[in-house]
Amino acid sequence: MRASVVSSSRKIMHMLGSELEKLVTLPLIWLTLIVAFLANMVLAAAFTSAGLQGASGAGAQSILNTGLASMGYLQAGFIILGILAACSEYENGQIRTTLTAMPWRGYQLSMKYVALAILTVPAALIIAASGVFYSFMMMKDAAAAIEMDKMIEALAGAAGYLTITTLISAAIGALLRRTTPALALLIGYYFIVSPLSEPYLPRIFNYFPDIAGHYMYMKPASDDINALTPMQGTGIAGIWAIIFMAGAIAAYRRRDA
Amino acid sequence: MLTIDHLVKRRGAHEILSGISFQARPGRVTGFLGPNGAGKSSTLRILLGLDRATSGSALINGKPFAQLANPLMTVGAAFDGSGAHGMRTGRAHLRWIARAAGLPRSRVEEVLDMVGLTYAAGKRVGSYSLGMGRRLALAAALLGDPPILVLDEPVNGLDPEGIRWIRTFLRERAEFGNTVLLSSHLMGELAETVDDVVIIKRGKIVADGALEEIIGTHSTLEDAFFALTAERAGDTG
Repeated sequence: MRASVVSSSRKIMHMLGSELEKLVTLPLIWLTLIVAFLANMVLAAAFTSAGLQGASGAGAQSILNTGLASMGYLQAGFIILGILAACSEYENGQIRTTLTAMPWRGYQLSMKYVALAILTVPAALIIAASGVFYSFMMMKDAAAAIEMDKMIEALAGAAGYLTITTLISAAIGALLRRTTPALALLIGYYFIVSPLSEPYLPRIFNYFPDIAGHYMYMKPASDDINALTPMQGTGIAGIWAIIFMAGAIAAYRRRDA
Repeated sequence: MLTIDHLVKRRGAHEILSGISFQARPGRVTGFLGPNGAGKSSTLRILLGLDRATSGSALINGKPFAQLANPLMTVGAAFDGSGAHGMRTGRAHLRWIARAAGLPRSRVEEVLDMVGLTYAAGKRVGSYSLGMGRRLALAAALLGDPPILVLDEPVNGLDPEGIRWIRTFLRERAEFGNTVLLSSHLMGELAETVDDVVIIKRGKIVADGALEEIIGTHSTLEDAFFALTAERAGDTG
C-alpha cells in the first residue's frame, strides 16, 4: 500500500514535469508572453501619458489604476496562452502520444492545469508589474507617496485574475479541442458579450467570471453599490475556473481521443 | 501478449467493429491487415486506451492499457504521422515523453541514434519529411524499451531504405521474444516481415493464422488477401 502511494506520487510528479516541459518547449507560448509583455508596455505608456495630462496631485491609487488600465486588453494574451496550452495537444495527433505516455486522463489534465498555473503566475506578475512600474516611474513626481501594501495587493490580484482567465481558457480549449472556435468563443465572450450584458443583467453581472475577477485588482468606484471585495471576486472567479476545469476533465475522461 | 476479445465499436448507427477477436503472441510479428476503413486503427486505438469499446475487451498482458503500471515500458505505440507538435524540435518532443515515464535524457539520445534521426533532432518537427516523422514516432515508441510494440501503418511514408530497416528491426525484436503487432494496408511490404496474419474487412475478421496457412494455395499474401476478403464479404470480384 505504502509502495503504491509512493509510486503514485512519483507518477504525478513525472506528469507535472512532463507537462511543464511541454509548455516551455513550445515557442508559441513564449511568443505569446513576449507579445503580451510588449503590447502591455505600449498600452501602459499610452495610459500613463493620458493620465499625466490631468494628474496634478495624483495618488497611489491613480498610479495603480493607470498601470493596470491595460488589463482589459492584456487578458486577451492570457486567453490565447490558455487556448494554446490546451489545443496544442490536438496538433499532429500529439494527444495520442500524450495518452499513450500518460493514460491516467484525470491526473494528466489536472497536471497540465497545475503546470500552466506555475508558468502563468510569475509571467502575469511580471507583465502586470512592469505596466504599474512604468506608470510609477513616469508619475511619481506628480503622485503622493506610493503605498507598497496597496500595490502588492493589486498586483497579486491582477496576477491571480490573469491566471484564472488562463485556466478558464485552457478548460474551454480542452472542451472544444480546436484553437479557432475556442478563440472565437472566448474573445467573443470577454470583449463583446460580457461588456454588452451589463445593462441587461444588473443582478447577476457581478457573478460573471471576468466581472467578479475585476474586483480582484481594481478598486471599485465609490458609487458602485454592488461592488465585491477582492476576496469575493477571487472566490467567484475561482469557482468559475474550477467548474470549467472539472467539466473539461470529465469530458476528457469520457471522450474518444 | 495482446488479446482482443469480442470487440465491438459503434459510432452512432455505424458499427466500426463487429465483435472481433484475435491475439498477438510474444516472439511473433503479427500483421493486422485490411483495406482503408476496415477497422484496423479503431482496434489499435481501443487497445491503447485512446477510444472506448462499445463492448468486448482489448487487453495487454491481461490488463487494459490504462491499468498498466508503466505503460511506456510495457508497450511502445506509434500511429500515423509523427504524433508531435510541429513547432517543437524532435529532441524536445522525446524529452517530454521520457520525463513522463521518469526516463533519463540519455535515453532520448539513444533512441534518436537507433532510428537514425540524431542529425535532425534539433530541427522543428514541422520541417521533417513524412519518413522522418515516422522515425520520430518510432523513437518515441522505443523510449521505454518495451517488450510489446503496436505500430499503425509503420512503413507508410518510409523510403525503401527505411522500409528495409524497419523490417529488419521488427524481426530482431520478435526474435528476442518481444510481441510486435503492426497494421498495414500494404500486403507486399508485410509478407516478408510477419509470422502471423489477421485480416479484417468491414469490421470483421476474415482470416487469422500463421502466414503460410493464410497464403495457402495462393501465390502471394496479396492474392490470398483479395480472395479471402471477396469470399467472406460476399463480393463477386
